[in-house]
Amino acid sequence: MFELQEGHRMIETAMRQFLEKEVVPLIDDLEEGKVLPYDIMRKMAETFGLTEMIKARFQKMLKKEGKKSEEEESEAGAFGGPGFDPLIGTIIGKEIARVYPSLGLAMGATLGLAGGTIMAKGTPAQKERWGLPILTFEKIGAWGMTEPESGSDAFALKTTAKPDGDYYILNGQKTFCTNAPYADIFVIYAKIDRGQEAKRDKRFIFPFVVERGTPGLSVSEPFKKMGMKGSPTGAVYLDDVRVHKSHLLGETEESARDQAKDVFAGERTGAPAMAWGIIERCLEVTVKYATERKQWDRPIGEFQLIQEKIARMYVHLENVRNIAFKHAWAQKEGKKITMKEACAAKLYCARAATECALEAIQALGGYGYMKEYRVEMLMRDAKLLQIGGGTDEIQILNIAKELLRAEGLEVKLGG
Amino acid sequence: MKILVTVKRVPDPDMKVRVNAEGTGIVEDNMKFVINPFDEIAVEEGLRIKEKKGEGEVVIVAIGPSVVQEQIRAALAMGADRGIHVDVDSYPDPLNTAKLLKAVAEKEAPNIVIMGKQAVDDDYGQAGQMLAAMLGWAQATFAYKVEIADDNSKATVTREVDGGLETIEIDLPAVVTADLRLNEPRYASLPGIMKAKTKPMDVFKPADLGVELSPVLELVRMEEPPPRKGGIIVETVDELLDKLRNEAKVI
Repeated sequence: MFELQEGHRMIETAMRQFLEKEVVPLIDDLEEGKVLPYDIMRKMAETFGLTEMIKARFQKMLKKEGKKSEEEESEAGAFGGPGFDPLIGTIIGKEIARVYPSLGLAMGATLGLAGGTIMAKGTPAQKERWGLPILTFEKIGAWGMTEPESGSDAFALKTTAKPDGDYYILNGQKTFCTNAPYADIFVIYAKIDRGQEAKRDKRFIFPFVVERGTPGLSVSEPFKKMGMKGSPTGAVYLDDVRVHKSHLLGETEESARDQAKDVFAGERTGAPAMAWGIIERCLEVTVKYATERKQWDRPIGEFQLIQEKIARMYVHLENVRNIAFKHAWAQKEGKKITMKEACAAKLYCARAATECALEAIQALGGYGYMKEYRVEMLMRDAKLLQIGGGTDEIQILNIAKELLRAEGLEVKLGG
Repeated sequence: MKILVTVKRVPDPDMKVRVNAEGTGIVEDNMKFVINPFDEIAVEEGLRIKEKKGEGEVVIVAIGPSVVQEQIRAALAMGADRGIHVDVDSYPDPLNTAKLLKAVAEKEAPNIVIMGKQAVDDDYGQAGQMLAAMLGWAQATFAYKVEIADDNSKATVTREVDGGLETIEIDLPAVVTADLRLNEPRYASLPGIMKAKTKPMDVFKPADLGVELSPVLELVRMEEPPPRKGGIIVETVDELLDKLRNEAKVI
């Protein structure tokens, strides 16, 4: 349970070879926005047979909606246990983050957030129409939740969907939306605007699918960011965007509505894998450097202040790995991860990744500050983990809220 | 078309290899092991021949302790059909390797045996040639390009030789050894990896194959190359001559 099986190691090896060859030479161009990450994702999917696998599973799933087929279980069982193996996704995410976290973020946003929401909420027809093209990377998805005036307080979002016969009319604006500048399919969260009854719907937000090219939908240029530069981020503008009710995921308002706790779960799941990759890489670079770099005729690894950094990074690596293993185990066993567990994991992984990347830069000194070793990039990228998908502060508030609630104290965020 | 491909388990060439304190071998802790890169090229060539023919079977054979099954499965994940593990405690010398492979080749009766031109751990580069000689088959070493005749009776092999290429035609069955530029091996796909464990793998002891191992080579000692020293810049030709004569003692 707490180690990679042979099949996992094969995936790890194959992914690493692919990424070293296909992505590493492109990093500078990706960082400058001269190359977009989407063709790399497509090539990756093609190379590793993901497209055919997803298509085959999809057809099976559509036939037996909701039921796991036995064949699928025995196939995945090759990894040392029966059933679907969530660790595969973790390993792929980890390997990507070692080399270029931006690619993982852009992939996570289309596949996990946009694709995942459609697959979780959509009707079979919606899954086929929008889910499948996203899962096979034929189309790129974006997931729009955050607005200029609502971030952590996501349910204060102002985007509205006004019913109009068989249609909804969407108005509003989304920001910090990964893939927005280039996406084909947008999952946009909105509140239903019913005029008088508006109060009743306040607790709920609803996901709509809007395709690129729909009149009234426009996107911004890619934003300039501190890190994650290879993952295009932008704003989405909705100006009287008229979509048929079949664009409401689930098609009925009853099944479409989302509550706060459902929404961020998906955004958090990528954090352990990404932190694992960043930390593993930083530790490797630091250890290697510490054995090669000499001062006063001694490798700097002989200095205890460097040893302390190495040891700390290793402790973080162990913890983050164990968190990733635990999440994969829970997902496989169908066990629920509580809100506070998920928040604690995300908080720890995000902080650990940033800390390790900073320590790696420090251990490498001037060389760490230069782009060559990429640890400065990993530090800028790691920092996003502390902000996106719920800030560190929100994770802390959620943890405390749940612990206090168990003792009968109900804490309300924002008073 | 039956294609027999040999794979050897070797330390990852990208990792730093250290000799153990006794000088009897390398430190294996934390070492990653992979298919010998030239053998990986051989596997790829086998798969390409099968794909081009539209029929056939690619059989993988590896010799060594049970851990070599990992490398067999890695080749199966690339797309090979089944594996043969010749179970011995340690890796035999080239002559005994060839003896074991001869027994497997006689049992399997393939149209072609494809091997890496050498293993990157011990760099002998002998097993392929020895195997062809023992079987009395044609051999084409250092292959750059391999083409199989439609009726599987002959192969045209372009070889890398000093300063150029040489194209030869050989009768099949034959032994071909792969050079670096023969092809670029594919990555194992996810479905391929998932299927690898369910593909058949036979395990034989040398005795099952009627082979008695008789080592002809003894590893006396292993040592690491001396660490590289930084260069120096000499002031004059005389100083250079002096250093070459008295320090390096090469003239």
